[in-house]
Amino acid sequence: MLTPKRVKWRKVHRGRMTGRSLRGSTLTFGEFGLQALEPCWMTSRQIEAARIAMTRHIKRGGKVWIKVFPDKPATKKPAEVRMGSGKGNPEFWVAVVRPGRVLFELAGVAPDVAREALRLAAAKLPIGTRVVAREETQV
Amino acid sequence: MTTKTLSIERREKTGTTSAHALRSEGKVPAVIYGHGTQPLHVAFDERAFADALHHGGRTAILTLSLGDSPNETVLVRDLQRDPISNRILHAELQRISEHESVHARLPIVTVGVARGVKDFAGVMDVLLHEIEVEGPADALPQHIEVDVTPLGIHEHTSAGDIALPSGLKLLTPADTVIVAIEASKTARQLEEAAFEQSEPEVIGQKPETTTPE
Repeated sequence: MLTPKRVKWRKVHRGRMTGRSLRGSTLTFGEFGLQALEPCWMTSRQIEAARIAMTRHIKRGGKVWIKVFPDKPATKKPAEVRMGSGKGNPEFWVAVVRPGRVLFELAGVAPDVAREALRLAAAKLPIGTRVVAREETQV
Repeated sequence: MTTKTLSIERREKTGTTSAHALRSEGKVPAVIYGHGTQPLHVAFDERAFADALHHGGRTAILTLSLGDSPNETVLVRDLQRDPISNRILHAELQRISEHESVHARLPIVTVGVARGVKDFAGVMDVLLHEIEVEGPADALPQHIEVDVTPLGIHEHTSAGDIALPSGLKLLTPADTVIVAIEASKTARQLEEAAFEQSEPEVIGQKPETTTPE
């Protein structure tokens, strides 16, 4: 799973997820991509599950790019603990995704295989997505 | 090279509010600059502009008619699009004369199936999707075709290998790799990504040491 190797702080503020993705909303490497349509905290487990779903479907050949990285620690208080007494413990890592962000890119496979692989990957994610192709994103 | 004609209107107000108002009317705010003159703020019909781009591509010369002013010939330099709806939010247009030499970024289209992909199940990786060229504005093609058929496994095509139409000069460094054929990884190799999750090191914090009792 994707996790940072070194961090400056163990816990960070939660922040806000308003607005749209300011960058990373176009295809840069591959021919097809999966674009987020809603905001979310995407966990490293969800990213890994989507990646596995894609690579299993394309079997051999093709190249996959993961364009989000879970660099934000998400904390959780243990079960049955009263409120207060400070922030909980870091439990998992998330990537802050805003609408428009291209999450994964795919190249080197037939269009129907690519679309199906991205559909399977989308099923592992907590948000609505759509498949974008290079000819659709460029004039 | 294709030429499209669009009618434009001058816009007096600039800024977010007026741009929003224009977009709600189905118009696209744009700016025209170049040839050492003052930039001109204009607006035009979104559908007509999208249609011109769809049929002529990004390298088409647009002829803009502005009321009683003389027509302007322009080249689309930049487009801002909404990441969700893909609507055009703003366009930058550069004044050009038809035979003027201009710099342009042309998209690359691969032609054929590479030998390495067909016979050895390799993966074709397009590393550069656009190349930069210089040439007469009226001779810019919509895209550049790159024939990948002879490429075997671990072979590549560089920018210098591309046969450009006459009159165009390559500006991208000639040794830049455009298309490479790589050996494909098996599904198992792809799944062998590191799965172990270790606690990340916190910068500036001393590693925990066991205190003697």
